[in-house]
Amino acid sequence: MSRGSGGGYDRHITIFSPEGRLFQVEYAFKAVKAAGITSIGVRGKDSVCVVTQKKVPDKLLDQTSVTHLFPITKFLGLLATGMTADARTLVQQARNEAAEFRFRYGYEMPVDVLSKWIADKSQVYTQHAYMRPLGVVAMVLGIDEEKGPQLYKCDPAGHFYGHKATSAGSKEQEAINFLEKKMKNDPAFTYEETVQTAISALQSVLQEDFKATEIEVGVVKADNPAFKVLSTEEIDEHLTAISERD
Amino acid sequence: MDLNMNVNAPHSMGTTIIGVTYNGGVVLGADSRTSTGMYVANRASEKITQLTDNVYVCRSGSAADSQLVSDYVRYFLHQHTIQLGQPATVKVAANLIRLLSYNNKNMLQTGLIVGGWDKYEGGKIYGIPLGGTLVEQPFTIGGSGSSYLYGFFDQAWKEGMTKDEAEQLVVKAVSLAIARDGASGGVVRTVIINSEGVTRNFYPGDKLQLWHDELEPQNSLLDILNAPSPEPMNI
Repeated sequence: MSRGSGGGYDRHITIFSPEGRLFQVEYAFKAVKAAGITSIGVRGKDSVCVVTQKKVPDKLLDQTSVTHLFPITKFLGLLATGMTADARTLVQQARNEAAEFRFRYGYEMPVDVLSKWIADKSQVYTQHAYMRPLGVVAMVLGIDEEKGPQLYKCDPAGHFYGHKATSAGSKEQEAINFLEKKMKNDPAFTYEETVQTAISALQSVLQEDFKATEIEVGVVKADNPAFKVLSTEEIDEHLTAISERD
Repeated sequence: MDLNMNVNAPHSMGTTIIGVTYNGGVVLGADSRTSTGMYVANRASEKITQLTDNVYVCRSGSAADSQLVSDYVRYFLHQHTIQLGQPATVKVAANLIRLLSYNNKNMLQTGLIVGGWDKYEGGKIYGIPLGGTLVEQPFTIGGSGSSYLYGFFDQAWKEGMTKDEAEQLVVKAVSLAIARDGASGGVVRTVIINSEGVTRNFYPGDKLQLWHDELEPQNSLLDILNAPSPEPMNI
């Protein structure tokens, strides 16, 4: 005798449904899309660039305090797409973890190790009833000492993969289609090409041309591995270069 | 000669360390001798350690204790910097050092001088001696070699020196202390910190000026024996 729907709780906490689904995890993904922001990440030959929309819903808000792009250490950056509050707690924990790693082991925490830590934490939330998954997709970027530029994406299900290019948020699928065409044949983008591919992907998918104050851009470069958030002037230069190119 | 000397004794930095403010920044100076008892374990140590891009610390006393305190404070300051979103101030660095020194005073034996530059207060020097007192001073000296420098600084220190004057003062002072303190020696290292950044300098022992009664450095006393004999005098 099989019970139809597990007592109806399979939608309320993270236990399996009879079809083998975790509804809470799926709802977490929907929460990421519901935030209404799209983010793009592109890995080039010797640099990585991430771009996200900077939506300031309220005219009274101080624009400089709105951000989804966070330095974790001097060399690692994290772009959080989804629920801002969940993002901040994830960033806080990631910062503590990366700093402790550096103190305990004597070398900088690599990108993939941090991503794995974030993913493992997310997986725990998919098994414990007392904590819900975080409504955040995290893109981690940095220059690995051995492997070069790295871009990883971690999601509420506890998956993490390295990417040549990827996207997250409401227009995720359209962006991925656009990027697949651009990244065919494994192009080895220079720094400028990497940034411009990321920005133009966002522009194409959202079908609007941005002003420099409407997007946030974060980069890491092999010749200057410190994580850097671009200033409005620097973003403007890239936007001008893109519009001149087209 | 003590043939039973223990080369595994705790490494201590009988030391000379100095921190001096000048018009625009600070100069930190130190010798480079680390001793275990009578044996010089490291004759080219780096006693001026980086805490952040703009704050350095001079270490004296137990080598292990001062290294650990520096490591912890570097770790805390790194997190503080990331969360603050801007460079940490010299005062914060000095306070973190002081808290560790005071709260663990029974176990630690280390005297530290914190020096750096930040945009709010400019160049600052903080002395944190053995018990964990925190004192902000225009200049300060520390380590076993500093005993010989109190009178020298009383006479030679002046307010508002230039960068070069300050560095020359520090090099001269460390050199004087090395001449008189058996537990200090080796080379003189200086670190200059100001709004433009950090400059590290190195003065090898044989480039320092000789003081009263010091011999010229020479490779071997055989040089004396092999020196050509002077012409006999005609009396």
